[in-house]
Amino acid sequence: MKKIITILIVALALFSCKKGVKNENQKLNVVTTTSMITDLVKNIGGDAIEVQGLMGSGIDPHLYKASEGDVTKLVNADVIFYNGLHLEGKLVEVFEKMEHQDIKTIAIGESLDKSTLIGSDYFASNYDPHIWFNVENWKLITTFITNQLVTIDPKNANVFKANSETYLAKLSKLEDRLQKTIATLAKEKRILVTAHDAFSYFGQAYEFNVVGLQGLSTATEAGVQDVQKLANFIIEKEVKAIFVESSVPKRTIEALQAAVKSKDHEVAIGGTLFSDALGNIGSKEGTYIGMFEYNVNTIVNALK
Amino acid sequence: MSNAQIEIQLIASLVAIACAIPGTFLVLRKMALITDAISHSILPGIVIGFFITHDLSSPLLIVMAAASGVLTVVLVEFIQKTGLVKEDTAIGLVFPALFSIGIILIAQNANDVHLDIDAVLLGELAFAPFDRLMIQGTDLGPKSLWIIGVILVITLGLLIAFFKELKISTFDAGLASALGLSPVVVHYGLMTVSSITTVGAFDAVGAILVIALMIAPAATAYLLTNNLKKMLLLAVLFGVCSAIAGYWLAHGLDTSISGSMTSVLGLVFLLVYLFAPNRGFFSVLYRQKQQRIEVSLLTFLLHLGNHHEEEERHVKHLNEHINWQKVRSKSVLDLALKNNMITIEKDIVSLTDKGKKFTTEAIDYIVTNKNSEIENMKDRFFLFRG
Repeated sequence: MKKIITILIVALALFSCKKGVKNENQKLNVVTTTSMITDLVKNIGGDAIEVQGLMGSGIDPHLYKASEGDVTKLVNADVIFYNGLHLEGKLVEVFEKMEHQDIKTIAIGESLDKSTLIGSDYFASNYDPHIWFNVENWKLITTFITNQLVTIDPKNANVFKANSETYLAKLSKLEDRLQKTIATLAKEKRILVTAHDAFSYFGQAYEFNVVGLQGLSTATEAGVQDVQKLANFIIEKEVKAIFVESSVPKRTIEALQAAVKSKDHEVAIGGTLFSDALGNIGSKEGTYIGMFEYNVNTIVNALK
Repeated sequence: MSNAQIEIQLIASLVAIACAIPGTFLVLRKMALITDAISHSILPGIVIGFFITHDLSSPLLIVMAAASGVLTVVLVEFIQKTGLVKEDTAIGLVFPALFSIGIILIAQNANDVHLDIDAVLLGELAFAPFDRLMIQGTDLGPKSLWIIGVILVITLGLLIAFFKELKISTFDAGLASALGLSPVVVHYGLMTVSSITTVGAFDAVGAILVIALMIAPAATAYLLTNNLKKMLLLAVLFGVCSAIAGYWLAHGLDTSISGSMTSVLGLVFLLVYLFAPNRGFFSVLYRQKQQRIEVSLLTFLLHLGNHHEEEERHVKHLNEHINWQKVRSKSVLDLALKNNMITIEKDIVSLTDKGKKFTTEAIDYIVTNKNSEIENMKDRFFLFRG
């Protein structure tokens, strides 16, 4: 056994020297975490960079399990864009430490002004990480990522800037469309009941009253009292529909529906909203813009 | 192979060794479940640590996690000592209680913070090489390699220093107290080491792999040997080999590293269970068949010894009188012939001197009820086994 340890220590000593220099002619290797960030960086970088997302389409950050191939992706990365604000759990800490290893890691959440973030009621330094549900935030982040890419890869600066302008224009158009759709819904009907608290930024931006059945942590489950309270709230406010999320099991929302029913009222399940991940690649909901439109259409149609 | 890949295998190997050592004793003491229990009951420690520091990345959270692991062990021991319930029941009583305290604390006080075990313990081997220990700008290698290395050195030190105490108190707690060793102290020591190893390894490789690495290699080794030292060495060997094989399986399939390692551990256990020389499935099956033929042989030889009439000793008579199927009577005859216990002349079977001696001795042993001696006797007489 002592021999094994000696061998391991020697091996460790040998391999702790740093990796070689990267090829100058290669495209910039960018690794991203959530599918929202992957979509955004692809839009800005276009063909000028190589983008690899860790969490594929439809994969929830909470459920993400790394594969062996991700190790190589991370090792070869020049830049890593991640959400931050604890969305990626312990990975955020790892990314922070990778700064010292010739890999630039950038938390897009940190670029936003802290005063615009929604904080925890109990613990001041912990913020709601679902920042993408406000298009204004996403525009700021687009500019932020563009500036970062320009600094890191100046020879493609023009590409990034041009792509970024096109995308910002698309986002502005998206906002106009969203405003129009949401305007058709009376203000008192803007109540969004979902499984977990992912839509606070959405609610803030479009004047929705957002109520989550479950807290931010996926380890806890909704208590009986929470369900009853929320059921009373739904009846009192005459909410027409409640929503399932693509990344949270249906049954909590179904329990809520049953609770409302037991009090002789009806509430429909308005559809499935994309919360922590985009839809499948290739589908309309596989892009940030498509996902947002889909969510808003689903919400507005169900609540009308 | 990149550095990261080598480091992952190195970390996994160290974790495998650090887990196999306490794992061996846990398996022998029938307390394998304690690892699973600890992996759950650390939640309240993490939550309380967070309430103190308000910081998800504080090391205090991991210290508190290890402390609540030790608390689990103490409570289990306390309940078990009442004598009202067994080890596994005591474990099953303690860890759900602690885990639910953690859940209630989160639900009451921190529902809008992303607070769960994953948020504090990394538990993902793929990222372990990127979480590095930096001192004044110098890169000293992955942090988990250091954590698990320190745990391993302590475990090995304790193992070497207290090997005798561990051995005696594991196999005979009564004798241990009679000799003036305290089995309770040894027990707490072992459990504390297990708890710290679990939390440390948890951070490096994740919960399920820790449980698998503690139990599967030790259980596999137990199929092969009764010698404690050999069992420890075999467990270490199985753990390290499965970890490295699992890594390359994950590489080939581009899938979860811990998942592949756990699968390989299970597969190794299955193979050893099937093919182990003494306790393996096939060897037990083979031995049973051998026993049946040898019992038939003895019956046949006794029959020959009792009958001197020619018609009773005719080859064909075996099928008729003793009512054996042809195949079986043939294999019994062959075995007897090969071992020089009978001779066949014109289809008439007679016992040789060796055959007679074997039969008389066998009867002696059966009459005096010394069944165990029969196996020794068989070894002496048989040139070929059934």
